[in-house]
Amino acid sequence: MKLLEAIRIVQAPAPEGAEPMSLALACGFTPDHFLTLLAAHVRAGKSKRILKTSVGRFGDLVGNVERLAALSGTANEAIVVPIEWTDLDERLGLRRLGGWLPEAFGDMIRTVNSRLLRIEAAVCRLASSSIVALSFPTLPLPPISYLPPNQAGCFETRLREEIAAAAARLAKIARVRIADPQAVDRCSVFSQRLDVRSELTYGYPYQTPHASALAAIFAALIDPPLPKKGLITDLDDTLWKGIVGEVGADQVAWDLDGHAQIHGLYQQMLRSLSAAGVLLAVASKNDAARVKEAFRRADLHVSAEHFYPMEVSWGPKSAAVSRILTAWNVGADSIVFVDDSPLELAEVKAAHPEVEGLLFPKGDEVAGYALIEQLRECFGKLGLGAEDAMRLESLRRGAEVRVKLDAADPEAFLSTIDAVIAISDERDSLNRRPFELINKTNQFNLNGHRVTETAWLARLADPNGFILGVTYRDKFGPLGTIGVVSGRCNGFALLLDHWVMSCRAFSRRIEHRTLSFLLERFDADEVLLDFEPTAKNGPLQEFLAAYLEEGEQLAPGLRITRSRIEACGPRTYHRIEEKPRE
Amino acid sequence: MNDVRDRLVGCFQGAFPALSRDAAIGATVENVKTWDSLKNFLLLTVIEEEFQLQIPQDDLDQLRTFAEIESYIASKTKG
Repeated sequence: MKLLEAIRIVQAPAPEGAEPMSLALACGFTPDHFLTLLAAHVRAGKSKRILKTSVGRFGDLVGNVERLAALSGTANEAIVVPIEWTDLDERLGLRRLGGWLPEAFGDMIRTVNSRLLRIEAAVCRLASSSIVALSFPTLPLPPISYLPPNQAGCFETRLREEIAAAAARLAKIARVRIADPQAVDRCSVFSQRLDVRSELTYGYPYQTPHASALAAIFAALIDPPLPKKGLITDLDDTLWKGIVGEVGADQVAWDLDGHAQIHGLYQQMLRSLSAAGVLLAVASKNDAARVKEAFRRADLHVSAEHFYPMEVSWGPKSAAVSRILTAWNVGADSIVFVDDSPLELAEVKAAHPEVEGLLFPKGDEVAGYALIEQLRECFGKLGLGAEDAMRLESLRRGAEVRVKLDAADPEAFLSTIDAVIAISDERDSLNRRPFELINKTNQFNLNGHRVTETAWLARLADPNGFILGVTYRDKFGPLGTIGVVSGRCNGFALLLDHWVMSCRAFSRRIEHRTLSFLLERFDADEVLLDFEPTAKNGPLQEFLAAYLEEGEQLAPGLRITRSRIEACGPRTYHRIEEKPRE
Repeated sequence: MNDVRDRLVGCFQGAFPALSRDAAIGATVENVKTWDSLKNFLLLTVIEEEFQLQIPQDDLDQLRTFAEIESYIASKTKG
């Protein structure tokens, strides 16, 4: 992105509903160009939020970070800290003439170490209330060492060791996000990063393409795109090389010997995605018996149990995708479909325009590897939780439960499944699951309101409010934390501002039992809900409609009385366990 | 020349959003109050990017009006 383009993006009127994001840039250089590029990249990102920015003093990155950390009660949503060598020791930059003598190398390393420790201490404080995004030196070291430029000596390697150690320590801290040097290298040519003239004249060290690349990475760190939830894959010439119906299960390949390693890498990626909680399914026009046989091969890197559902038939793939979306109960916009046939991709796209279709490039390892990298981009997430490991299994069990509910008397069935709802006080800032659930749940969502990290931290610290996690298990196994409800109790009335529940937990009356439990726990006579209809919260609306008075319409500011809940709620069979705050 | 002028007006309006087209064409260091060293840096960067030029510092010191910059760019981009 060119600077003038960035200026135009920033100067354009903000989209309706764009929420302001307060951001501080702690850097040592003249900040204006970089801030403009950062604001433009954030504006171009998913939430199109405006930046309200603040900056510190020129040439004092460490002091700027420390001053931000010392300010209390003025939390920025995000702090961006682009660290360059000159910030760690001015002798490693171009604007100070402190000498490049070998006898100073030891002192330079000590200075770098001490400044990194100061940055680390300040970042730890900042990260208790803000997202802190850092990059470590992206510009070349000046030719300080006496060694020929192709050789890394003790001095350079020690400097880099200090950087790596600091990065490793900081990466462990919640809300600290470090720019991956590999990501910077991918999009910015090393020899075209430093602008010597601009650094010497204006104190701004970056050529615009590098500044733009770095700003784009920071924008993605502080406002990451929502990861996709599921991947639907084709089999022949995608999961493996060859047509299993033609060559047989023992002849399809995914290894070096079969010149099919790229398919093995793809399988390995799918297995990794599955371990990270990504839903996997198969949509293949194929002979079901042959496919079963292929999945019996012990050398597959991802097995049949990692896929649900397995749609193998001769029908249109768009129909298979429809069935998979129903089984998963997720929106088409959170799905990636991978196939080697452009025709199949187009057919699915025509029926499900929101599905992201990706071509598995037949016989092209370079493009195949690019696809594998792209998958990580689609599904990359900030952390793994216990629910990630059980998601696919609980969907599978959910389908079984629905079948049994349809087939049997629901009362008889629900009364025998030993259902337990555990309610826990979630005011524990280390548990990200409630925050993530509120920000990704669409169907059972009271109002669709999302919360920023800073607003969430403020909620956690609010002594007058409550945030309760809802965890569920029955004799078919655990579903993990599937719901969050937050609000406050105002005398006899309970005010709920967030209530979300994962679609995996539908059909078990958990929402009805949660509602009656809330009244019992807070000894309230009525519930006031900050309800808003959205395009996607139909299941929530259906649930609330059961409690409406005759002739009453669902509308914002909905009020439900205890007597109404007792009269209209279905019978529930759950045992409630209440867990205190950890 | 008109193409250079239009593009240069775009650069000036990027650096000084309040300037109308006419005000941009008549801009000088003296009559644009916000034309300080930082704005000069911004203007220089967008002009260099727009016209694929490197303007040496010595030349830059002589360029204090829209008209001077326009002539300078025209002389450097000829042929």
